[in-house]
Amino acid sequence: MELVQRYIAAVKRELPENKREDIGRELNANILDQLDALAEEKGTLTDADVAVLLKQMGHPRRVARQFVPPRPLIRLDYMPLYQYTLYMVLGILFLLQIVERTDVWISSSDMGLVRYLTGLAGGFLDDAIFGFASVTLVFWALSRHHLSISADRESDWQPERLPGVGPGWQFIPLQDIFTDLATCLFLLVVIWYPVWMPAEQLESSRFMLSDHAHLYLKRVSPLILLSVVFSLVQLRQRIWSRLLLTANVLLSLAFVIAIAGLAVSGPVLQFDSTRWQGVFDLYQLERSALITLIIFSMFPLWEAGRDLLRLRKFQ
Amino acid sequence: MTIAQLDKMRLELRRGVLVLAVLASLKQSHYGYSLRKQLQDRGIEMDEGTLYPLIRRLAEQGLLESEWRQGEGRERRYYRLSGPGSELLGQLTGEWRQLNSALGSLLSHATEGGD
Repeated sequence: MELVQRYIAAVKRELPENKREDIGRELNANILDQLDALAEEKGTLTDADVAVLLKQMGHPRRVARQFVPPRPLIRLDYMPLYQYTLYMVLGILFLLQIVERTDVWISSSDMGLVRYLTGLAGGFLDDAIFGFASVTLVFWALSRHHLSISADRESDWQPERLPGVGPGWQFIPLQDIFTDLATCLFLLVVIWYPVWMPAEQLESSRFMLSDHAHLYLKRVSPLILLSVVFSLVQLRQRIWSRLLLTANVLLSLAFVIAIAGLAVSGPVLQFDSTRWQGVFDLYQLERSALITLIIFSMFPLWEAGRDLLRLRKFQ
Repeated sequence: MTIAQLDKMRLELRRGVLVLAVLASLKQSHYGYSLRKQLQDRGIEMDEGTLYPLIRRLAEQGLLESEWRQGEGRERRYYRLSGPGSELLGQLTGEWRQLNSALGSLLSHATEGGD
């Protein structure tokens, strides 16, 4: 009988405190009934017989789980909203990290691209852990109290308001929107850094854009701001419509023209020739910048072409 | 179909029916082991890991009443249908009969088609 008591104690350890005594008492009665039935069949029972019966009943943890099934950390019906909130929060934290790290990078005289990228990754990881834990905790609390957070939204809908059947590409992925937002915010910080940077820090900055290129980019800033607004509209709609596609074609073409304009309008870089003597010369760097800008302009050009094709498919 | 798949489907098929079988058996008082024996005698095999937690859950939902009684030198917990449990049993029985008749017809057609 000692084996039975040990078994019940092991099951009770796996149960919530408020159910231990009650379930343990009932389990004890059930096991004794089974042992009685076995004794009727076999005569006197040995410890080995009891062990075989307990083994058949299953591991104490499994038995405890059968009596009190584990509750998931987050209720299953909250999962879609949980995932969506998580992606949104992580996306926003990534954007904030881009702004913060780019500011530090520009104002620092000794931070290279590698340190910028590792700093960005490390900073984002810190924020992401905090964001993940916070969102999970909120949803865990909601799950524990069985609060209804999506019932209203799911009951108040009309089939007529559903978007039309469209091809797979018509749904705009969140990562595309956040990539665009991150790029725009990066550019805005790079272009407008002198506005908030102290003069002495500005002098020590080794940022290499020429005054001409800087002025040009400032003039192009409204276009970047427009792109930010456009991304926010996409975040709200999440479906490509004819209007959104047309706007994206125009915006992409405007970016192509703006980048091409920067490439052909004059020197892009400002160069401290004494510092880089024997390593680079101005001609080489300007040529590299020109090629880089041409490559950059291919991305919006590709997007414009892709969206023109999609527009044709809409007809 | 693999044996594991078949077992899983059998489990799904039996899950709802077992509740009905337990409710129907508990028109009379039973303790865990006697209920299991009665179900077994009527051809419904149910392992203790499924039956005992199931009757506790039904009791927690207010469908069964329970009390501890002394007998044969030790205590046992007896279960019996409660008022709401009887009402539910009536509704589920109607549902089961309707389903059974519809399925019976469907399955006999399927068997004839297969032959």
